[in-house]
Amino acid sequence: MSLLSVRDLSVSIGALRPVDGVSFELERGETLALLGESGCGKSMTALALMRLLPAGGRIAQGTIHFADEDLCRLTEAQMRHVRGGKLGMIFQEPATSLNPVMTVGEQIAEALRFHTGDTRRVVELLAAVGIPDPERRAREYPFQMSGGMKQRAMIAMALAGAPELLIADEPTTALDVTIQAQVLDLLDGLRRERGMAMLLITHDLGVVARMADHIGLMYAGHLVEMAPRAAFFAAPGHPYARRLFEALPEMAQEKRRLATIPGSVPPLGTTFTGCRFADRCSEVLPVCHRELPPWREHGPAHQVRCHLEVRVEQIVRKVGAGETASVGVPAPPPALLTVRELKVHFPIRRGILQRAVGYVRAVDGVDLTLPAGRTLALVGESGCGKTTVGKAILGLQAPTAGEIHWQAEKLQGLAPERMQMVFQDPFGSLNPRMRICEIVAEGRPSVDVARILEQVGLSASMADRYPHEFSGGQRQRIAIARVLAVAPQVLICDEPTSALDVSVQAQILNLLAELQQTLGLSYLFITHNIGVVNHLAHEVAVMYLGRIVERGTVAEVLRAPRHPYTQALLAAVPRIDGRRMDVKVAGDPPSPSNPPAGCHFHPRCPRAEARCREAYPPVVSVSATQSACCFFAK
Amino acid sequence: MLAYLIRRLLYALPILIGVNVITFALFFIVNTPDDMARMQLGVKRVTPEAIEKWKTERGYDKPLFWNTQASGAGQVTDTIFFGKSVKMFALDFGRADDGRDIAREITLRMGPSLAVAVPVFVLGLFAAISFALLLVYFRATYLDFAGVVLCVAMMSVSGLFYIIGGQWLVSKIWHLVPISGYAEGLSAAKFIILPVIISVLAGIGSAARWYRTIFLEEYTRDYVRTARAKGLSERFVLFRHVLRNALIPILTGAVVVIPTLFMGSLLIEAFFGIPGLGSYTIDAINAQDFAVVRAMVFIGSALYIVGLLLTDISYTLVDPRIRLS
Amino acid sequence: MKFVLLWSDALFFLLIAAMIAGGVWASRQPHLRASWRKVGQSRVAIGSAAVLAVFFAIAFVDSLHYRPQLPATPQGEVRYSTEVLSALDALLLPLRTQTEKTYSAPLATHLFAKETLDDAGRDFPPLRYPGTHLFGTDKVGQDVLYLTLKSIRTALLIGTLTTLIMLPAAIGLGLLAGYVGGWVDDVIQYLYTTLNSIPGVLLIAASVLMMQVVIDTHPEWFATSAERADARLLALCAILGITSWTGLCRLLRGETLKLRELEYVQAARALGVSSALILWRHILPNVMHIVMIAMVMDFSGLVLAEAVLSYVGIGVDPNTISFGTMINTARMELAREPMVWWSLAAAFIFMFVLVLAANLFADALRDAFDPRASR
Repeated sequence: MSLLSVRDLSVSIGALRPVDGVSFELERGETLALLGESGCGKSMTALALMRLLPAGGRIAQGTIHFADEDLCRLTEAQMRHVRGGKLGMIFQEPATSLNPVMTVGEQIAEALRFHTGDTRRVVELLAAVGIPDPERRAREYPFQMSGGMKQRAMIAMALAGAPELLIADEPTTALDVTIQAQVLDLLDGLRRERGMAMLLITHDLGVVARMADHIGLMYAGHLVEMAPRAAFFAAPGHPYARRLFEALPEMAQEKRRLATIPGSVPPLGTTFTGCRFADRCSEVLPVCHRELPPWREHGPAHQVRCHLEVRVEQIVRKVGAGETASVGVPAPPPALLTVRELKVHFPIRRGILQRAVGYVRAVDGVDLTLPAGRTLALVGESGCGKTTVGKAILGLQAPTAGEIHWQAEKLQGLAPERMQMVFQDPFGSLNPRMRICEIVAEGRPSVDVARILEQVGLSASMADRYPHEFSGGQRQRIAIARVLAVAPQVLICDEPTSALDVSVQAQILNLLAELQQTLGLSYLFITHNIGVVNHLAHEVAVMYLGRIVERGTVAEVLRAPRHPYTQALLAAVPRIDGRRMDVKVAGDPPSPSNPPAGCHFHPRCPRAEARCREAYPPVVSVSATQSACCFFAK
Repeated sequence: MLAYLIRRLLYALPILIGVNVITFALFFIVNTPDDMARMQLGVKRVTPEAIEKWKTERGYDKPLFWNTQASGAGQVTDTIFFGKSVKMFALDFGRADDGRDIAREITLRMGPSLAVAVPVFVLGLFAAISFALLLVYFRATYLDFAGVVLCVAMMSVSGLFYIIGGQWLVSKIWHLVPISGYAEGLSAAKFIILPVIISVLAGIGSAARWYRTIFLEEYTRDYVRTARAKGLSERFVLFRHVLRNALIPILTGAVVVIPTLFMGSLLIEAFFGIPGLGSYTIDAINAQDFAVVRAMVFIGSALYIVGLLLTDISYTLVDPRIRLS
Repeated sequence: MKFVLLWSDALFFLLIAAMIAGGVWASRQPHLRASWRKVGQSRVAIGSAAVLAVFFAIAFVDSLHYRPQLPATPQGEVRYSTEVLSALDALLLPLRTQTEKTYSAPLATHLFAKETLDDAGRDFPPLRYPGTHLFGTDKVGQDVLYLTLKSIRTALLIGTLTTLIMLPAAIGLGLLAGYVGGWVDDVIQYLYTTLNSIPGVLLIAASVLMMQVVIDTHPEWFATSAERADARLLALCAILGITSWTGLCRLLRGETLKLRELEYVQAARALGVSSALILWRHILPNVMHIVMIAMVMDFSGLVLAEAVLSYVGIGVDPNTISFGTMINTARMELAREPMVWWSLAAAFIFMFVLVLAANLFADALRDAFDPRASR
């Protein structure tokens, strides 16, 4: 008998059905990953198991058997003992998921008191999730902890009732990649140690490859594929799964077009007749639009819900195809944009007279060179100052020091005809009160809107509509159209795809590559996504705490990183081939208002020596193009 | 944190000066003292001598800012601005039209004002929070709906009707308490009980509805879901998590009015004949006693600024995010 | 007859025109359409809007002022009465002119107090128009229903013009403080903190006292007593506006601070769009729903405030018919034995219905346009 057995589960919120007829099983000690893009119903499934659906939501049908008990039949009082007892849950946003006015210790003690009656185990639990100095930390409030620490505290809380099943809803999505690696290791270790089962909700194929035993792929409220991990990654059965793999930038041959899935995930409330993926499927059959496909055996314990019969042998998928050694990159053309010693410091004001008692050194001496028609990726974790660099170069943020040169000319303030920016959030970057034609023509009212819209792959007939009628990917195209209208030569792209689903991200990356080819644009591509860097960039600069620690061509930096931070960053990215690298980095990044003396990375560096604590390492050239700020770079 | 409070205190000073300048402009620039005299004396009976006499009695016969006839410091101090506005910072408010010292009158009348205002504040806050908690506990039920409708209906009735209706019902029909008046000491209770109840009733509708909104917004936060995921009961979630967070804006929002309680309530005191600062102000307005109104504006503003300071302090005490950072 | 356009009439017509234009504009904005549909689906919203529409219609008719022509003099000269009437007075001609001698109860047939009659000693004399006074008559025999209907215009004017007067300052300064920041923000914040720290009632009282002095010392400014009362009404609106713009200003400043950091504003700055254009095109349209909600929410508070202020004697001109002046006189009548209660009851019912409708409508609007602020 399985630990958890979900049969035909449907969730309704008003007239909507975010989860529709989902069935799966989970054995003790195993990890099942529910995988899917945003809006596919995976989080709703998890909340339904806890019977914590949002207001108006209810379980419309189906059964949830947990250790022989049907959770749907329990009274609310009985259910409370299951919640936090046999079933623990952790959530995506550690920053908001803890009560801000209670100490972490109190919040854990609360769960302990209810489920075990023994509140003395708070410190023990905090120690178990790897929080240093747990006695002191128990008395701290959430705002005094870093994001990773808060997520650990949340895990401690979920462990309080000694659960048999831990539900983790996107547990690392809000965290940086080095912290994500720490938390994933912790979760996996705890699961093995305690023999728990784990239900992992995620959109990240890398996380799935790292953590899951079994995988359930969801699409638009349906489960469409169930498979053991190895089988899923070797030979995904559903066309949606195959397209997802092909859309991953890290999977593509460098600089080639990514495979894309046309359109986007259908919105909630769409009525379907046949297969829910039929409209976006490249292998669609006439029957797909008429009939819901049946479950079909695809391999051992591997089922696919698809009309198309594909045998495992027919599927040729190259894992790590992008890993082939890079071909020689031609020497870079002369620099179009040069940034020298750029500094952006924000004063910290204190005291009666509000004097600046210190500075947040968001950007602390950055040099960059961007050649015409090339892409420079600026990589780093949140808070390293990479967005501030972009805004300072653009002129949106006044620099504290440093110079920006356009060829030989010194730039001051905005240069709208030369440089433009594409922002991260496709929903915040378009004014909801303006029509598309007004948005596109904002920078240059005389522009031919229809032509520009077609250039970014939209139809001219959309010009009179408003942003709310468009999906995230389409909005990002509109934002690109808006900057193309002023015909800049440099685009600063600030995480332009990180808010998009994988399938849509591929479309935008292809568009950017195309525009670079036809218009000769230069990109400063600010991102934390190594896969995107690999696919799109020519050169890379890695930032840590306001400074660039390593730079070079993509091939050099990603294949042969010299700085320990770059090495750790690359090792922390979960890879879909499931391989793990051993370079681990402990702890959290320090605050830019009080950076450590010497090398900023030394407190977390496995190779740190005495000299690393004393002086900031010089730039060490490794090759004509690669250099790193590390004593050990040679 | 101490530096923060000192800074807030220093910021309060220019505000008080601003208030002083505004009142001065309002009382002496918008209308000249001659205009005021003419109006008070009645346009018909007015003679130049009567105007002069009226001005001299009140000290309005001096120049506004600069006295060329005086010597030394007197050039500045022997002016209307100094005598009427600057001296207020030293709590010297001069004399009312009836010749009494305003500062002394204020100290005498503070007691009755507080005797009504403090119970109203405490009971009102308690009643509104309790009622809001009740509605939130039964949220999305008919009880909640009916409660909100009741709140909206209650806040749609003018305060005048609460007072008139209450006096008529309780005092005139039921003869439970005297209709108005005041006595010193404990015997004040029978005069105070009705105005207090009426004030609490009149305020509960809007306050309870507002607090309910704060509670409900707190319910949408992620930490509430975490608390439920721990298996805590709804009551526990409400009282331990939601209430604790919602009380921060509610209580610190209430703190700002505490100093102004001294001022009493204009309407209540006028209706119930309570000899506090509220009725003092009303009488001054009706008698067009400018000196008293000016003094009350200054005191009211000063107390409000003290309230702002108290709000800052209470935030730093209640909210760990501010206390510890 | 000769038409008279009082200042408050002009502003009121302007306001109604603006409301209609704003409504047409808002209903054409697709991003607002969903919110309007939500308002339309609420039965409470439709009901309260209908009630408010009736009140506004009454006030509108009552704002069409004229001076009736007097019988021509023997010399054939055309003269007009100094009394300013409104279209409502004409419509309610029977109510206005069918006066009794003194108090009479609702729908009564006889006066309320006994009088010495010629033939039969002391008794209740019969009314001239028995059974026609729905809410009875007041001390001078005026129909109470007529007085109540006339009060509506005063209440609505105070409730709407006040906001209209303060709107430019609140929007302009709020957006400026939030968007420009720096010392401009400091100055504006100082300004509204200072004004805000003066207790509202006292500032109003002081201002009204001073305004009274101005009006009383310049009788030559006003041709008719109606104009005088109108000036005082407008001045009261202005004073209430000055004391109440600070709340909206602070709200708009906060919202602008948030909007300023939004990516579409950043994008516009990067495109080289001027600050003035950004404020006009990006910030202002995105705070208009807050302005609208604030306007509707303030309305009921102002109607209630008018009653209290007029009652205390620092509101409208004592000759202006308003709920406050009605309650003020009714208060004395309660003390009579037997009690005269109908004036108070009439004022209570009309005010309650008006304010309740305004509150419910404001709620519905807020729910639809700012879902985060309600539940």
